[in-house]
Amino acid sequence: MASRRTLANINFSGISVFVLILAAWEASVRLGAITFEFFPAPSAIFAGAVELARDGILLQDLLHTLLSIAIGWTIATIVGVSVGLLLGFSPLARRYGLASIEVLRPIPGIAFAPLGLLLFGFSLQTELVVTVLPTVWPVMINTMGGVANVQPRLTDVGRTFRLNSYEVVRYLLLPAAMPSIVVGARISLSLALVMAIVAEIVGNPEGLGYGIVREQQALHPEFMFAYIAVVGLLGLILNAGVLALTTSLWPSTAPRPVA
Amino acid sequence: MSAPVFECRSASVVLSLSAGPRPIISDINLELRHAEFLSIVGPSGTGKTTLLRMLGGLMRPTSGEVLVKGRVLTGPPEDVVIVFQDYANALLQWRTVASNVAFGIERKLPRKECADRVNDALSLVGLLSRADDYPWQLSGGMQQRVQIARALALRPAVMLMDEPFASLDAMTKAGLQDELLRVRDRTRTSFVFITHDIEEAVYLGDRVAVLNGSPGRIEDIVTIDLPAPRDQIMTRQLPQFLSYRYGLHKAIGYG
Repeated sequence: MASRRTLANINFSGISVFVLILAAWEASVRLGAITFEFFPAPSAIFAGAVELARDGILLQDLLHTLLSIAIGWTIATIVGVSVGLLLGFSPLARRYGLASIEVLRPIPGIAFAPLGLLLFGFSLQTELVVTVLPTVWPVMINTMGGVANVQPRLTDVGRTFRLNSYEVVRYLLLPAAMPSIVVGARISLSLALVMAIVAEIVGNPEGLGYGIVREQQALHPEFMFAYIAVVGLLGLILNAGVLALTTSLWPSTAPRPVA
Repeated sequence: MSAPVFECRSASVVLSLSAGPRPIISDINLELRHAEFLSIVGPSGTGKTTLLRMLGGLMRPTSGEVLVKGRVLTGPPEDVVIVFQDYANALLQWRTVASNVAFGIERKLPRKECADRVNDALSLVGLLSRADDYPWQLSGGMQQRVQIARALALRPAVMLMDEPFASLDAMTKAGLQDELLRVRDRTRTSFVFITHDIEEAVYLGDRVAVLNGSPGRIEDIVTIDLPAPRDQIMTRQLPQFLSYRYGLHKAIGYG
């Protein structure tokens, strides 16, 4: 039964530890062990979250950040996979292109926030500048590596079964590289969330990241923590979502239990 | 006596290396008839794999020619399939067993006929019950059988096998040897079977060719006159079997 299997898959041990930590935190505040006014109890944070949700601000900010991540990740994936495939298949492209990549890659995305502000001011595009640039790399590198590391034996198999070049790429090389590509995309998604929040704290005053800063400046710690919690939850859901999506599309990319 | 299915006429492979041209195999003359099982034995380094790749059209002979059904090879020919030693790398790990077996024919045949051929091939190697499993869920011997089934689905005239059982344990190997002979009897496919195991070569072969020297040459081709069907225990005890074994050991230089 689907529900029983889902029940069995829930990590009760892990969850219970987390609940214990929350309970200890709550108890410490109630009993007066923690008196720092900017470190509220989990119950206060939850109440704060409910209030933000009721006012509609939380949803608005959440949707903004989600949009930023969605667009940024999509662009990064498309560009990263395309360039990654080119680099993977073409030694010539690697010879000429890798040096430039190695120079650009170490630049932290946040360094582009001022550039984004100059170009686009306070807008979603500024966030995208900060989000897309660093998240292209994991997809690109993993795609390139995935193609380059395909078993040479598969080339022999393609030849003995007389596949033409297109068939070799479509039926052998791409599927063989897919697990690598998917890993790159998943890393990129997590990174896109981080960079979107960073862009909202440092650049564009909208979304969950700005919410954190706004509530901090207004001295509302319970609202600030509520935003932080929502960011964490968003990360969990996005990761689980992309994992479920890629596993259903390409079952071979699912994480395999170690024998 | 019908025309040979496979023919090698004075074929040589010389590789151009930075240190100069290096002949790998020289003046190979071979013939393979319909439903014949030809074993090729030789010590390591004599070019067995090169010979197989040349026969399979993956490598062009530097001189001489290879013919399949009378036509000179210019690339991998349609009637010939290679089965590789490293089955885990040769199989498509992201496809099920049935999908792997269909790999060579799925683009050429309508779906129903393709499915029938896949079932036939899987039945031939006894893996029909594992059709929906993935290769990594199967043992080594089973994976090799999947590779064999994949080649069989093409209904090739010739199967070229490059030490296919070398990485399997003795019992699995013995089982697969007998299975291969049964497949040959049922499908009437011709086999070229490369091995370094002399006993395996004699057990399986109708003829055994000895590849030796540097560059590798066919030094001898022995006709194996043993009763069929072969039996792992009885055949291997026959004085004639031992005599072939002795002779081949001497020819290769082990004795």
